[in-house]
Amino acid sequence: MTAVAALDEARALLREFPVVDGHNDLPWALRKHAGYDLDALDIAGDQREHLHTDLPRLREGGVGAQYWSVYVPAEQPEPVAATLEQIDCVRRMLDRYPARLAPALTAADMEAARRDGRVASLMGAEGGHSIANSLGTLRGLYALGVRYMTLTHNSNVDWADSATDEPNTGGLSAFGREVVREMNRLGMLVDLSHVAATTMRDALDAASAPVIFSHSSARAVCDHPRNVPDDVLERLPANGGVAMVTFVPKFVLQAAVEWTAAADENMRAHGLHHLDTSPEAMKIHRAFEERSPRPVATVSTVADHLDHMREVAGIDHLGIGGDYDGTAFTPDGLNDVSGYPNLLAELLDRGWSKADLAKLTWQNAVRVLGAAEDVARDLRATRAPSLATIESLDGTRG
Amino acid sequence: MADLQDDIPTTTEVGEDDILPDAPPAVAVPLEPGRPRPEQPDAELLAQAHTLLAEHPVADGYSGLPWALRHLSWYDLQLGEAAVDTDVPRLREGHVGALFWSLHLPEGRGGESPVEAALEQLDLVRTVIEAHPEGLRLVRTAGQIIDARNCGRVAVVLGPAPGAVVADSLGILRILRDLGLRVLTLAGTVWAGASGLTRFGEEVVREMNRLGVLADVSGASPATAERTLALSKTPVLCSRSAARALRPHPANLPDELLVALGEAKGLCMVPLTAEQTGPTVPDVADHLDHVRDVAGPECVGLSGTYDSGVVHPRDLADASRYPHLIAELLRRGWSGTELSLLTWGNVQRVLRSADFTARAAQHRRDTSTARIGDLGTP
Repeated sequence: MTAVAALDEARALLREFPVVDGHNDLPWALRKHAGYDLDALDIAGDQREHLHTDLPRLREGGVGAQYWSVYVPAEQPEPVAATLEQIDCVRRMLDRYPARLAPALTAADMEAARRDGRVASLMGAEGGHSIANSLGTLRGLYALGVRYMTLTHNSNVDWADSATDEPNTGGLSAFGREVVREMNRLGMLVDLSHVAATTMRDALDAASAPVIFSHSSARAVCDHPRNVPDDVLERLPANGGVAMVTFVPKFVLQAAVEWTAAADENMRAHGLHHLDTSPEAMKIHRAFEERSPRPVATVSTVADHLDHMREVAGIDHLGIGGDYDGTAFTPDGLNDVSGYPNLLAELLDRGWSKADLAKLTWQNAVRVLGAAEDVARDLRATRAPSLATIESLDGTRG
Repeated sequence: MADLQDDIPTTTEVGEDDILPDAPPAVAVPLEPGRPRPEQPDAELLAQAHTLLAEHPVADGYSGLPWALRHLSWYDLQLGEAAVDTDVPRLREGHVGALFWSLHLPEGRGGESPVEAALEQLDLVRTVIEAHPEGLRLVRTAGQIIDARNCGRVAVVLGPAPGAVVADSLGILRILRDLGLRVLTLAGTVWAGASGLTRFGEEVVREMNRLGVLADVSGASPATAERTLALSKTPVLCSRSAARALRPHPANLPDELLVALGEAKGLCMVPLTAEQTGPTVPDVADHLDHVRDVAGPECVGLSGTYDSGVVHPRDLADASRYPHLIAELLRRGWSGTELSLLTWGNVQRVLRSADFTARAAQHRRDTSTARIGDLGTP
C-alpha cells in the first residue's frame, strides 16, 4: 500500500470510528493564555499559532470524542476552586460551539455524538489534589460531569504515590482504596496515568470496574516512570481496562528521555529550576540545544509502543491519549490534533486490520465507560455514598 | 421497645441551649374573661391558622439543617429525629411547604476552604434528600416548589451560601448555581464590604441576575445593601433580618432600608431568634407588624433559622410551631391575604421574578469573564 493510499484508508476508517482521545489540556491553555476569554482564543478558527487544538483540526484529525482535562497544578493555592473554574471553562466551550461539541456523560452520549458528527466532550480531572481528601468533593466533581480522575499528578497526594515523586504511601493508603471504591460506585473511571507502579497495582486490586490510563505508553519500550510496566499491562484483560498511548516525546523515545535528563541537569548546573522559562533560563536552554540537538520522536516511535502494548495487553485494551496542549513538544507527524490519521496509516502499514483500528480508536474507550456505568448501577443498589474521611481511615497523616 | 427508644439521640447532641422553655400551659393560670392570653392563642385562632396554612404553607427562608446533620452519625428525618429541630413529621405539623437550606457554617470553623466546605455541604444535602424521597425534594425554581407540594413533598431550595464560597470567581458562582445554589449572601466578601460593592462586586450581582441566584443582603453594610437594591434587576432578599427600630441587632434593618427594600419589592425574612426578634411570640409578631407596615405586606417573610445554633423564642422551639405564630398574627388582625403573602406568596414571587430575569438576561448578556484582578480589589 502506498503512503497516500494508507492515509486515505485511515481517514475513511476514522469517519466510521473516530478517535476517542483520553487527554487534552486545552482548558488549562485557555486559562493560561487567555484568562478563559474564549473570544481571545476562538477555537472555531485556526489557532495553529497558539494551540495544538482547534475545531477545524479536530475534524481533520478524525476526533470523535475528547476527554477535556480539567487539570490544575497541585501547587495551586486552592486546587478545588481552580478545578471548578476549569469545569466552568469546558461548559462555556460546550455552550459556545454546540454544532461541533456535544456534552457527553455516558457511553450512549458518545455514540449519539458520533452519529451526528459532533465531538463527544467529556471531562477528566488530573490528580487527587482536585478533591482535597474529600469524598464529598469527589461526588461533587462527578455531579458536575467529571468522568475520570487521575489519582495523582506529578507529586504524591496524601493517599497515593505518584510515578514522579519519592515513594511515601507505597501505593494506595486505606483512604486511597476507598477513593477507588467510591469512584467505582459513582461510575467515574479510575485513571492510572501519572501514578507509581505500586499505586497502579493497588488500584487494580481495589477496583471492581475497568481502569484507564488516559495518557501513558509502554515502559518496556521506553523506560520512563510515566509509562506502564508490562506486569500491569498484563492485568488489563482481566480488569477490562484500556491503556491510552501517549505521544509526549520525553516519555516515548529513549533518546529523548536521556536528552531531557541532561537538559534538566544543565539547568540545575546553572542554578536554575529545570522548568524555569524566564528569558535568562531560556537562553541557557537554547545554548544547550545548539550543542546537543533534541532527539525527534516520530509516528513510528508511537506505533512501536502500540505494537508492544498490543502484544502484552491485547487489542481490546488499547486507546489513544495525545496530551495535546499539555506538552511543549510533539512527535513528527503527530504535531497537533490533526495528526491521528498518520498514526493509523502507520499501523495499517504494519498490518493492523480495520477491526483492530476501530477498537483502538473508538470501541475500547466507549466500552470502558459503559462498563463503569454498569458496575456503578450495581454498586449503587447496595452501597450508600461513602462517608469515610482520610482521618478515619489513615489516621491524622492527612 | 424500651431498648430501641434508649438509642434515640437526645437533643443535647445538637444545640443544647437553643430552646427557651415554652410558656406555661393555659390551664395553669385561670383565664381572664375577654381576650385570650397573648402567648396562648385560643383554640379557634389556632384552628384558623391551621386552615390558612393548609392552603398557603410556610416557605421558610433559612434552615441550618445541613451543618447540624453533618456531624450526626445516624439520623432519620422521615420518621422523626430528636437530635434536630427539623424533621418531616414536624415540617408537616408546622405546614412547612418549602425550606431554604443554608450552607453557612458556624463561626471559627477551620480546615477546609469555603469552596471545599460548600461542596461538602452540597454533597451532604444531595445525600440527605436522596435518603428521604418521600418527605423531601430538591428543587430549583418556583414552579418546582409547586410541583413538590402537589406531590406532597417538602421542597428544599439550596441557599443561602456565604459569599466566600465563590472564592472571588464568577466561574465558581456558575458552577455552584449548576449544583443547585439559589441564594448567595453577599456579606463577608472583599467585594461587598463596608464601602459597598466594588466594581467586581457589581459584576457578581449582574452575573447572579443572569444566573437566577438571589442576592441576600442580610448582614451586609448599608452601602452594599443600597447599591445591591439599586443594581439588581430582580428583588433582593434579606435571609435573616428583623426591624432595628424594635431591636438594635446589627443584622436587623433600619427603617430607611426597609423602605428602600419595600420600594424595590424585595423580601425581608424575619428570623425566629430570641436575639434578633425577642423571646416571645408577640415580640416576633411586633417585628412582622413593623416590617409589614414599613416595607409592605409583599415584602415580609419568615426565616425559621432552626438548627442554626440560635436560641428561639418561647413556643417557637421547632419547625412544627408556625401555627402558633400565625394565630398571634390573626389575633392582631392580619388579613388572610397578608398571611398568605407572608408565609408563601412573597417567596414564590421573588423566586419567579429571579427565574424570569435570568431567562431575559441570558438573551441580553454573555457569560461574564470578569476577574477580580481586572476590576480591582478594594
